[in-house]
Amino acid sequence: MLEYRHVSVSCGRTPILKDISLSFPTGKITTLIGPNGCGKTTLLQCLNGLSKVTSGHIFLEGEDYLRLSPRDRAQKLAFLPQGRTLIPSLPVKTLVEHGRFPYLGFSRKKTKEDSDLVQAAMDFAHVSQYAQQSVDTLSGGTRQRVFFAMTLAQNCDTIVLDEPTTYLDPENQRIFLDMLKQLRSQGKTLILTLHDLNHAFRISDRLALMKGSEIAAFDSPDQCLQSHMIEEVFHVKWKRFEDKDGFYYFFD
Amino acid sequence: MAHYANAKSRRNIILFLCLLLLLSSFAGILFGSVSLEPAEVMKAFLGKALSSTTGTLIRTVRIPRVVGGIFAGAGLACAGVILQGVMNNSLASPNTIGVNSGSGFAVMLAMMLFPSSARSIPFFAFGGAFITSLFVFLLAYLGDSSRTTIVLAGITISSFFNAGINAIKLIDSEISINLTAFMVGSLSGLTAGRLLLPCCCITAALFFSLLLARSLNVLGLGDDIAGSLGMRVSLTRLILLLLASMMAGCVVSYAGLLSFIGLIVPHICRQLFGNDARFLLPCSALLGGSFVLLCDLAGRVLFAPFELPAGILMAFIGGPFFLYLLLKKKGGRRIHA
Repeated sequence: MLEYRHVSVSCGRTPILKDISLSFPTGKITTLIGPNGCGKTTLLQCLNGLSKVTSGHIFLEGEDYLRLSPRDRAQKLAFLPQGRTLIPSLPVKTLVEHGRFPYLGFSRKKTKEDSDLVQAAMDFAHVSQYAQQSVDTLSGGTRQRVFFAMTLAQNCDTIVLDEPTTYLDPENQRIFLDMLKQLRSQGKTLILTLHDLNHAFRISDRLALMKGSEIAAFDSPDQCLQSHMIEEVFHVKWKRFEDKDGFYYFFD
Repeated sequence: MAHYANAKSRRNIILFLCLLLLLSSFAGILFGSVSLEPAEVMKAFLGKALSSTTGTLIRTVRIPRVVGGIFAGAGLACAGVILQGVMNNSLASPNTIGVNSGSGFAVMLAMMLFPSSARSIPFFAFGGAFITSLFVFLLAYLGDSSRTTIVLAGITISSFFNAGINAIKLIDSEISINLTAFMVGSLSGLTAGRLLLPCCCITAALFFSLLLARSLNVLGLGDDIAGSLGMRVSLTRLILLLLASMMAGCVVSYAGLLSFIGLIVPHICRQLFGNDARFLLPCSALLGGSFVLLCDLAGRVLFAPFELPAGILMAFIGGPFFLYLLLKKKGGRRIHA
């Protein structure tokens, strides 16, 4: 279980996160939602060191996460940051192999286990057929799956994805969400931020609704809707539809 | 068109580049203002005819020159690969970001302040290179780190230090240096004594850069991903910067401001062999070495009995070849380290 205890982050004197306490349940999908600039990305970036925690603690399986070395962290928790500014001109397979970096370090040779995990990750993300192709020649949707495969190759039980479906077309979004559900059924803990509320409500077991550097609500999607916090935070109205596949939400 | 070699063709490419380096070295020993017979060279190598003129020529002139050329090319090319990766900027090289000039200025300063201690020169060269690259990196880090900023800053720093070099030469006419040869880079007049320390340092730096090749690849994905993959980003970057400065500085200490090679050889290799640093670094080192040797050889042979500094030939031969590669590259493949 990943647990934030009274975590605050400030940039200079400006508070970005105020006293966040959250427990992300194991084996479930938890999604952070909230308006732009509410601190979702900062909250996640505490995990890869890009945001410095000013006070508070983060625990992963009872261990003080922030005291772990960067390498140990990357062996326990895989993090895919949002939006990519650098698209490397490397073959897909080489890029996915970077997911083994926390284990290989500077000089260790990759073993059969490393190769198997890389292959499994590429198969899972449906990018094996591009193995020898250069990442920068692929479409945005495929590229995102390649980076996702790299994250999976870290072989961590906790996977954090910052806006994984932004910029993807509806089909690629669906493929992505299906993969997330599949990972959940394998017992992985998933933590996401999503902008699409409909997706967030359909896929998540838990929603953390953020507003102005704080957690406004942390509950199951249904409870979040009942509490009317969604209307308050996003200034939207919602409707719910049901068919044999489950519930759909419409936000306007 | 990107080329991604598999393990077998990688081995072949490395073998081919080794062979090229070997041939260029042999040619560098054989030809010059006086051409030697291969048989004589072999004799000298086998320890016979050591006292003959040929033996002396080979031992005191040609071999230091060839060794110096190999290390100069390898060091600058690898420094280029590393700087491009560390700054995430395909235009970075020891020359374009001003590292060479900074190092050259430090060398001139050392010559002026401590004319008697030639041994201190490599240290000054390295110090100058490191301080300059740290400065450029800080500029990039603090300001907007766009390609333009870094290159503009580099050009500014270069001309600043070049002015400094010229000023020192004018103020202190005692300095025994051929300024033109120093400014464009030249391998003439090298001795084994002057080469020993720089070459050892370059070897060590090359070795450590190869160990860090994987990190260089990860760094190319951006700081956020590198951090998520468990890399200590700032520390790794600093170490790589240190290694690049060490290589560039050591080369400057004996060969002057060989320009171009740190930019063009990495790019030739990127075009031909792809961007994977684990492969790019050794390829650039081997090709860089051969390239410097061949340019130096051309400078000696084509205009004999006159001798053109290697740096001039490098621009003459390398420039058009690089332009050809740029034109051939269609589809605008983005190059990232």
